[in-house]
Amino acid sequence: MSPQYIKAQANMKPGVITSSGFLGDDERPILDIISHDEETMRKLNLDFAEVAEAMHRIMTEGLKGLGEPITVDEVLLVQVNDARGFLPCPFEDGIFRKTNVAARLASTGRLLLYSDLSLHLFEKHHFLQGRGSPFRLEPEVLKEVLRL
Amino acid sequence: MFLTVVLAPTAVGLIGAVLALFISITDLIVNNYGEVVIDINKGKRKLTVKGGAPLLMTLSEQEIFIPSACGGRGSCGACKVRVLSDVGPHLPTETPYMSKTEIDQNIRLSCQIKLKKNIEIEIPDELFNIRRFQGTVEKILDLTHDIKEVYIRLNQPEAIEFKSGQYIQLVVPPYGKVKESTQRGYSMSSVPSDRNHVELLIRLVPGGIVTTYVHTLLKEGQPIELTGPYGEFGVHDTGAMMICVAGGSGMAPFKSILNDMLENGKKDREIWYFFGARTRKDLFYLEELAEMEKKWDKFHFVAALSEPQPEDNWQGESGLITQVLEKYLTTVIDGGAPKEGYLCGSPGMLDACIAVMKKFGMSEDKIYFDKFA
Repeated sequence: MSPQYIKAQANMKPGVITSSGFLGDDERPILDIISHDEETMRKLNLDFAEVAEAMHRIMTEGLKGLGEPITVDEVLLVQVNDARGFLPCPFEDGIFRKTNVAARLASTGRLLLYSDLSLHLFEKHHFLQGRGSPFRLEPEVLKEVLRL
Repeated sequence: MFLTVVLAPTAVGLIGAVLALFISITDLIVNNYGEVVIDINKGKRKLTVKGGAPLLMTLSEQEIFIPSACGGRGSCGACKVRVLSDVGPHLPTETPYMSKTEIDQNIRLSCQIKLKKNIEIEIPDELFNIRRFQGTVEKILDLTHDIKEVYIRLNQPEAIEFKSGQYIQLVVPPYGKVKESTQRGYSMSSVPSDRNHVELLIRLVPGGIVTTYVHTLLKEGQPIELTGPYGEFGVHDTGAMMICVAGGSGMAPFKSILNDMLENGKKDREIWYFFGARTRKDLFYLEELAEMEKKWDKFHFVAALSEPQPEDNWQGESGLITQVLEKYLTTVIDGGAPKEGYLCGSPGMLDACIAVMKKFGMSEDKIYFDKFA
């Protein structure tokens, strides 16, 4: 791995940026995680830019609930929470508000959980986080909840 | 062959060990800052401590607690102190949290300042009153599907002095994949007269470390640690009409404030309390607040649902809390009376409420808030 990825992987460990880190139980190098998830996204016919755009839109709509849950697109119940401060990206290319989005598909109850930072990691680095990470973005969940 | 298989790895191992020893000795010499003196508020307190650790942690070891929501990881921007002596320029990890004025005043993040030499700092005097408490969870009550009322008995020390509207920081131990203790701030909903207890309203935040712990692992009878009291939010003793707005667990400081005012016979002020929720199942304390309205003719409670469901049979106000606030300011509330705004909620809710209040002539410096973020 390049020095940038080695540093990013170190930053992703528990206790460095967040208490639980970004890797969960996953012990693979992040490049392996990324390439595996890119392959899964392709198989599911999901485009990173298109998915990110949908996530941004849901966050914007969710903010209109002023902290309370709000129905979006008639099928999603979205709640946006803010915590104090910012989190730096493990790739060291920006800092992000601690804004969390919880979007639940009413018909199945499936929950999509993401933050400003996890959306950035997805959009810019194609990093969906390690298996077992609290903010891991499962491609199947993205497809189902975003209805893409 | 023998040389290659046995001696070469041994030599490499030996060189590695010598290098490690060298690094350790160098670290001890270079990073041994000895004792340093922290001068707080121009000599009000002077602490002689071992140098080398961040200011935030060193002060905490000396029982001086600077508010921090991230445990010193530099990601909350809360632990600001003014540094009067030279500790070098602001670090890139500090500047995102600082305004230009704060940089000019040498306000610093205490978690990012490593104690290498004597230092002079300035902190609000109130921070000297913050204590670490060991308590026991006496009762946990489900107020809604995602809000719990947690009632904590204080054991050591046994009593807390605070003003209604202030908050504490709850400390939860490591659990699951969370390897360190974590703390977050929560407004106290109990009244200051109940000095031996602290009551909190904690809403489950999906993915939240502390709220997940409270909602899934915290049990009655369990020991728990907290520090406090923190914060400046509270009633300004002016007699102006109070326009209060909250949602969800933002109820907490208002429960404390209103009950405290009632206890102390301060019933002469006109108070409008607007509370927003999505559906009927997100509302709580309705009976208590209705009872308060009966006892207090100048107190008015208005609950509003943004998405009432058919089964709710909701007869009250509907719409976002800002829309309902605007409606009342237009048609019900005396436009000429001096007013103060009191808000507790998400940054988005606060900004929206402030905009409405300003539209109706309320001065921004008379709008007080307890921002979640």
